[in-house]
Amino acid sequence: MNKKLLAVMMIVSVIFTVSLILVILQMKAPDKRIAEVLQDGTVLYTIDLNSAENQTIRIDAKSGSYNIITIENGEIYISDAGCPDHICMKTGILKSENVPIVCLPNKLVIRFR
Amino acid sequence: MKRILIFVLWLVLLTGCERQPEKKQIDIFAMDTYMSLTVYDENGDALLQQASERITELEQIFSVTQPDSDTSRINAHAGKPVEICGDMAVVMEKGLKIGAESNGALDITIYPLLQAWGFTTDALHVPDADTIAALLPYVDYTQVQLDGNTVTIPENVMIDLGALVKGYTSDAVIGLFRENGVTSAIVSLGGNVQALGRKPDGSLWTVGVVDPFSPSENMCTLQIENQAVITSGNYERYFEEDGKRYWHILDRTDGFPADNGLVSVTVVGDSGLTCDALSTALFVEGTEKAVNHWRQTGGFEMICVTDDGRILLTEGLKDSFLSLSDMPVEVITHE
Repeated sequence: MNKKLLAVMMIVSVIFTVSLILVILQMKAPDKRIAEVLQDGTVLYTIDLNSAENQTIRIDAKSGSYNIITIENGEIYISDAGCPDHICMKTGILKSENVPIVCLPNKLVIRFR
Repeated sequence: MKRILIFVLWLVLLTGCERQPEKKQIDIFAMDTYMSLTVYDENGDALLQQASERITELEQIFSVTQPDSDTSRINAHAGKPVEICGDMAVVMEKGLKIGAESNGALDITIYPLLQAWGFTTDALHVPDADTIAALLPYVDYTQVQLDGNTVTIPENVMIDLGALVKGYTSDAVIGLFRENGVTSAIVSLGGNVQALGRKPDGSLWTVGVVDPFSPSENMCTLQIENQAVITSGNYERYFEEDGKRYWHILDRTDGFPADNGLVSVTVVGDSGLTCDALSTALFVEGTEKAVNHWRQTGGFEMICVTDDGRILLTEGLKDSFLSLSDMPVEVITHE
């Protein structure tokens, strides 16, 4: 019985240690800055801002309008747009999880995942 | 031995791998804004679909532009009684109640003025003094008669529940989730946030509040559960003419954008509808009256930002408030 108990305790402690390490690793994982570009609720692009190369992406809206998205040194913003109000451009760089870049006329959203 | 082992393994599996419900999210463009609904539930996809349909339904009831909406029917039949649906009656009653509570700072008959300023059509401009003077007599919520599900407004008066609809909608969506057994959900309707329960891991939701002086950034965060966080600010819709900024929250006393010392008001409370109505009312009331309003009625908490860059925080939020800006913070107490 003693041997059995010992075996059980060993197994338990091994599992405990392994899960502890896993939990610590998970907590230490660096903050990923993943941006999503959505058009009318559909994800068009998923971009890891930490590793993305500088680039511009043109997205055409069904209405014939467009938005130009610029990714520059790990930051993302709308640099040009065919919408009338240009609110999406005025929003500037995507900074906060609860303040997405939104172009209402073109139903375009850029947000952190 | 074998039995004990199996038991232990089962125990470990049960505790170590406690399943968290999957995150489901939907993005909707409705009511002239961007909405994002997130729910943690096995049934999430079906519930989000239902929520989306409910939002479409509410949009059709409250819309000022769709000709068959309850709002349009009331406005088209000024002078005659109009039957309205239950949703409309609830929101209108709240609008009139907060209107009375704030001495008309919230006025659901402000629509003709919004039209004159072009906020309804995007033809934004400062109206001439005569236009405003001619419309002011018709901006008066006390002329609206609501009797059960029947509304009567005088001729030339128009109603618009835009200041309350988003709050009512987030209540409706959160209510739908709750009725279906969801314990964790959060919705954002154009930046107005409402949460159901806590995060799936048991911690509180962290909600950012926009810096009115730099609207792409947060000025603070709040920790909430089961609450709505709703903001009215002068940065949301505005235009500039001759170097001066004119925003969409109008003051019925002079027909101009409300400029009584505040640039944003965030209201935190249990009901999205109440918070939404209050955020507009308090913004128009301005610094002093807003503080008095909070002291007298209670039942909510608020964060006001003054036009000279100070944050006024009611004491109930003290512990959940984390500042992210360098604006000075004053805590408002019940005296």
